[in-house]
Amino acid sequence: RRELPDGGARPSVAQFKQLVVSALRELHGEVGAALPVDVLTYEEKTLSAILRVVSSGLVKLWSALTLLGFYQNRRCAFRVLQASPFLLALSGNSRELVL
Amino acid sequence: AALSRRYVLCEVVSEDPRCRQCIEDRAVGLAVRDAIGRVHGDYGLACCSISFTVKYLNAYTGTVLLRCRKDSYRLLCSALPFVRQLESRNQRYPCFLNTLHVGGTIRTCQKFLIQYNRRQLLMLLQNCTNEEERRCIQKSLLSCSLTEEQSQSGDEEDDDGTE
Repeated sequence: RRELPDGGARPSVAQFKQLVVSALRELHGEVGAALPVDVLTYEEKTLSAILRVVSSGLVKLWSALTLLGFYQNRRCAFRVLQASPFLLALSGNSRELVL
Repeated sequence: AALSRRYVLCEVVSEDPRCRQCIEDRAVGLAVRDAIGRVHGDYGLACCSISFTVKYLNAYTGTVLLRCRKDSYRLLCSALPFVRQLESRNQRYPCFLNTLHVGGTIRTCQKFLIQYNRRQLLMLLQNCTNEEERRCIQKSLLSCSLTEEQSQSGDEEDDDGTE
């Protein structure tokens, strides 16, 4: 999941995907922009999303999102909450699990 | 060796004969770095630029020898097909780069270049249409020899008889 703290207009799904791809293009060029990234879910309210990428492209995606600083001339930041090879694992945070 | 480099030998191919005067180390270096920046982004550009220089240039034959780090030579080689034009003194000419050889030292690249030029001269001799060009090329072929004192052979002759 990624969170994008912001003060103004929220990006839509398409703009979010465009943001991710342009971050990849800046850091990793055309090769990075061609990396197949899917937005599985997107909540405009909390600005969090679940992204899917090939495991060999995780480093490129994570580094590109970390270094992305601006969205429409406003400062922003990406926070990675969880990364896992299984989608089911993202439904709960195992650190907060109460046994 | 801890600090290994790779030397990439390529030739500049262009339909426009005026492109030859554009072949200089700054123009070629800028064109290659621009292509790396487009294809591999900021990360690739920074990675390849660490030890990147144009080591040798021959404007007559269009031969260029580039140097880069061993860790990033794949980024460089994959970006070479994306070089589309050479720009110098506010003039641009379309061209493309043909990769001939990748070696670990300048000496291996030089040995390959000598053999390659030898083969090119023979091919030019076969494709000659003019009797006078034929005599010219035969003369230069017979006059080139590898002497032990100097490491250069006479192969880098100006063989533009067909230009």
